[in-house]
Amino acid sequence: MTTAFLTNWIYVAVFIVAGAAMVVGILLMSRLVYPIHPSPEKYSTYECGIEPVGDSWHPFAVRYHIFALLFLVFDVEAIFLFPWAITFRRLGTSGFVEVLVFIAVLAVGLAYAWLKGALEWV
Amino acid sequence: MTVAFYIAGAVAVIATLLVVTRRSTIHALLYLVVSLFAVAVVFYTLGAPFVAALEVIVYAGAIIVLFLFTVMLLNIGGEAGPDARRRLRPASWIGPGVLAAVLLVGLVAIIASGANARVGGRAVEPREVGVALYGPYAIGVELASTLLLAALIGARHLGQRRREPDGR
Repeated sequence: MTTAFLTNWIYVAVFIVAGAAMVVGILLMSRLVYPIHPSPEKYSTYECGIEPVGDSWHPFAVRYHIFALLFLVFDVEAIFLFPWAITFRRLGTSGFVEVLVFIAVLAVGLAYAWLKGALEWV
Repeated sequence: MTVAFYIAGAVAVIATLLVVTRRSTIHALLYLVVSLFAVAVVFYTLGAPFVAALEVIVYAGAIIVLFLFTVMLLNIGGEAGPDARRRLRPASWIGPGVLAAVLLVGLVAIIASGANARVGGRAVEPREVGVALYGPYAIGVELASTLLLAALIGARHLGQRRREPDGR
C-alpha cells in the first residue's frame, strides 16, 4: 500500500526533473547558437522607441484596495457557509433559516456599501 | 506524526520571533506567511483539518494581502530606488525559504506516512464543525455576521477617506 503510494510520487518527481531539464536545455541551446554583440543602446530600457524618463520605482494608487477589504469580509462569510453546505440535510429547516439570517445581515451591509458607492471604480 | 507536529511547532515559534525582530516590514510579512503555514500544519496534526484549511485560505491568503496593501498605502516600505537587484539579495529571502523548506519536509513526512497523521485526540471533520456551528452555537454565527457587517461598513468608510484628499 505505502510502496504503491510512494511509486506514484516518483512519477511526479520524474516529471519535475524532466520539465526543469527541458527549460535549462532550451536556454543553454539558444545561448550556444545566438550571436552576442552587446552595446549600451541594446541594454537600455525599450519604451515604445522613446527615451525612458525617471525610474519605475514610485508609489501609485492601488484603487482596488477597497475591493480587497470587501473581499476579506465575504471570504469569512464563505468560510461560515461551507460547514453549513456540507451538513445541509442534517441541519434541516432550522439551519436553513439560520443561514438566511446570516446572509441577510451581510446583504444589508453590501447594499449599504453599494448605495454609498464603494463598488464604483474611481 | 509527532515529529511533524514538533517540526511545525518549532518553525512557527522561530518564524514568529523573526516577524517581531525584523526591521523591514516586508521581510516581517514573509516570516508571518511561514508562521501561519506552520500553525496550519500544527492544527492539522492535532486533528483539525478544517481549521488548518481556514488558516491557509483566510490568514495566509487574504489577511496577508491586506497587510501588503497597508504597507503599500502607508508607503512604509522605504528604500525605494532603481536598484531592483538590491531587493532580491539572498539575505531577504533565504530565512523564510529555509523555514518553509523545513515545513515542506514535515508535510512530505505526513503524506508519506499516510492519511492518519494525528498527534493525539480525535479528528474533527468539517461535517461535525457544521453540526456544532449551526446547532448549539447558532447565536455565535449570527453575532459573527453582525461583526462582519461592522467590518464591511468600516472598510467602506476607510476606502472613502483615502479618496477625499485627492479632491474626489
